[in-house]
Amino acid sequence: MYAVETQNLTKRYGKTHALKGLDFTVNPKEIMVLLGPNGSGKTTLLLILATILKPTSGSAVVMGLNVTKQPTRIRQILGISFQEARGFWRHKPAEILRFHAAICGVPKSERDAKIEEIMKDLELWEARKKLFMHLSGGQTKRLEVSKLLLQRPRFAIFDEPSSQVDLRGKRKIWGEILKLRDQGSTILVATNEVREAEFLADRVTVLDQGQSVVCDTVRNLKDKIAGGDVVELQLEPGPNSIEELRERLSTIEGTVNLVTAGENQYRAHVSMAEAWVPKMTSLCYEKRARLLSVRVTEPSLDDVFLHFTGKVLENPANA
Amino acid sequence: MHNIIRLVWFDLKHELRPPVWIVMEWITFIIQLGIYGALISQLVTGIADYQQYYAVGFLVMLAFDIGSHTGRHFVEHAHEGRLPYLLSLPISRSKLFLSIALQGGIELALIVAVPFAITLALLGNFTFISVIGAITTLFCLGFGVAGLMLGLSFIAFKSTDIYTAITVGLSSIIIRFSTVLYPLMFLPPNYAPVAILSPLTYGADLVRFLLGFERNILLDPIYAVAVLTALAVSTLGLGMLLLQRLVEGVKSG
Repeated sequence: MYAVETQNLTKRYGKTHALKGLDFTVNPKEIMVLLGPNGSGKTTLLLILATILKPTSGSAVVMGLNVTKQPTRIRQILGISFQEARGFWRHKPAEILRFHAAICGVPKSERDAKIEEIMKDLELWEARKKLFMHLSGGQTKRLEVSKLLLQRPRFAIFDEPSSQVDLRGKRKIWGEILKLRDQGSTILVATNEVREAEFLADRVTVLDQGQSVVCDTVRNLKDKIAGGDVVELQLEPGPNSIEELRERLSTIEGTVNLVTAGENQYRAHVSMAEAWVPKMTSLCYEKRARLLSVRVTEPSLDDVFLHFTGKVLENPANA
Repeated sequence: MHNIIRLVWFDLKHELRPPVWIVMEWITFIIQLGIYGALISQLVTGIADYQQYYAVGFLVMLAFDIGSHTGRHFVEHAHEGRLPYLLSLPISRSKLFLSIALQGGIELALIVAVPFAITLALLGNFTFISVIGAITTLFCLGFGVAGLMLGLSFIAFKSTDIYTAITVGLSSIIIRFSTVLYPLMFLPPNYAPVAILSPLTYGADLVRFLLGFERNILLDPIYAVAVLTALAVSTLGLGMLLLQRLVEGVKSG
């Protein structure tokens, strides 16, 4: 049974279709990353699964519970960290967390110790007495993530969990999300940060214009791009003709394109470099050509997105 | 029930620490009644003691303001991004809305308590039942107005500026074209039919009736009870229904 399953899920805002008949699944205890540009429907999907928005049509089931028929029961096993933490301007971080812990049923005897631990972990402890409105963007984001780390729900949703956070903070947040998964939570992360997706994902679903374009592990997605891996070779010719060797290299299974990049240097665009390189080394050995250097470059998730949607992930924060 | 109290207290404690705005409301009432009310009372001849009439009118305006504020506050939450968070909490929608109504009720009670006590002291002649009746009327009016503001919230999802303009404009009209400051019988013929439509007319006249004012300058209290009850039930019910559909159907955040 899937932890999350949507069938033909549609959401319309007036004439705008945010989700167009989305079929989507998340396995229990995995981190599923939704990757897509702004406006692709990621946040809408998260809000529907969190029972904050109602779908226009189609069905969505979370841990066996229907989002439209059993919303309160879903909210009892689910936690969501929003894209933007807003609204509690005059509250202090510690009291926001105390309130969240209490309302989500964290035992009173554990609350203060857990809050202190999480705030220290996410470097919020120094800011615990500041008003929310005086926190920086990064601090409000850490606070938003802290709510879920405190709550430890069975199904956790993170909407861009590390946007506006510095690199060290990102690593910390990602580490905590992985830990949450290892402790048994099912996790759904929406992001348009490629590095975040690569770091966290057990599987990735690429969303575009409210539809799932492709869903698989990062490895498989990359492998699905024909000629996505680039292998650069430098050879020292043996007794046989280098031209013959070049000819044979271009016939290895998985070679999409082989070009000369310099004297005795070649650049091969291949599918699945990990399978191609051993065949290439065997061939060189057979032809007694000495391999001076090999450099393998695999496609990024940006390339994956470009390949499947024909678009680039547009977000300056990705740079 | 614990979670409802938590929700109410989470917000309310910030209103009370320190309770500056509540005290300011009390001071405004005291100054307005003590200076303006006393002076204008000497100029008005048609009513036996206009200061007392004015005191009740001001009390009703306070109830109206707080009800209106509660309704608008909820809509502001939606726009500030707090509402999605509240909607994601593990409590039912009815409990969430109940907590909002309860918070509005407590704020109303806190703000009105001192002005109400002063008004009673000024009137000097009341019974326990009349006091309970007057308080119930003020709450009924407050909830009705809050419901009205919630009912208008669909405008805010298109434009908060238009929503603010409409609610503020509507508030001014509802107050001015009512019997809050002057009895219906003294209103110009063109104003009187409009005043009959204002919920404040019924709130103000019913509170005055319950606190022992002369009946000949007031509307029939039976009508007032019927109108206020219908207002509170219909606008709150409709407001909640509309809002539930709106907040769960409109993109937020």
